[in-house]
Amino acid sequence: MRWAAEQGHVRCDVGELQLPAEPSELGAARAFAERAAVAFGLDGDDCYDLAFAVNEAVTNAIRHGAPDRQGRIHLSFIAGVDRLTIAVRDYGQFVAPVASSDARSEHGRGFPLMARLTDAVRVRVDPGRTTVYLSKARA
Amino acid sequence: MSIFYITDDTAPAGADDGDEVVVLVAAGEVDFAAAPQLRERICEQIDAGRRRLVLDVSTVTFIDSTAIGVLVGAITRLADAGDGSLTIVCGEENRPVMRIFDISGLTGLVEVHRTREEALSALVTAG
Repeated sequence: MRWAAEQGHVRCDVGELQLPAEPSELGAARAFAERAAVAFGLDGDDCYDLAFAVNEAVTNAIRHGAPDRQGRIHLSFIAGVDRLTIAVRDYGQFVAPVASSDARSEHGRGFPLMARLTDAVRVRVDPGRTTVYLSKARA
Repeated sequence: MSIFYITDDTAPAGADDGDEVVVLVAAGEVDFAAAPQLRERICEQIDAGRRRLVLDVSTVTFIDSTAIGVLVGAITRLADAGDGSLTIVCGEENRPVMRIFDISGLTGLVEVHRTREEALSALVTAG
């Protein structure tokens, strides 16, 4: 589902995708992010970075979150005037990431990488659902 | 659809102690779906007593944090086993993967070479 609304010079595109909460679906999550980023007009590196961050958020949702009743994770994008935001939603209780400053730790790299590769990472915790918003501004 | 494969190849190091160097070649997208296979292949080699591993990721197009975690785990296991080491090969043209290695801090933990030949000769020199 996708619609576009144009009001004056404020343009807003919205799109969404629901994916089975399976590791084999991560490629589809990256492709969704990549397509949205290319359509929005981000440059090559920025498209890659946003797809990378979305992959991390969906991985977290699969590993630590919970799917909806149909077993799915929800992705959507909101294209604002100057920034593209991709939301990754699961239906579990948010688990605070274990931040590790130890370079030799095998875990805890997801959120720091998301933060490095996007312009903003926000986490919204509602009863019964967790949404991670990843934003990238147009250069 | 994600594509990932990994192959291995025992290359003679030419070192005096006769210790074998194993070259693993990964390709495609190494995400949370593929990382367990990467871990398995690396662990097989360590369990078989191999202590010098070279992993060529030149044709890997995507690598995520779970795969980085696997590499860090391998570095730790090899170091704990004595004088083991993991060496990464990543061609200069593979900028996206190199960038993720840099940002994640992996490049501070392993030697990264541009070609397999360069990695192998560095291992021989290190003896």
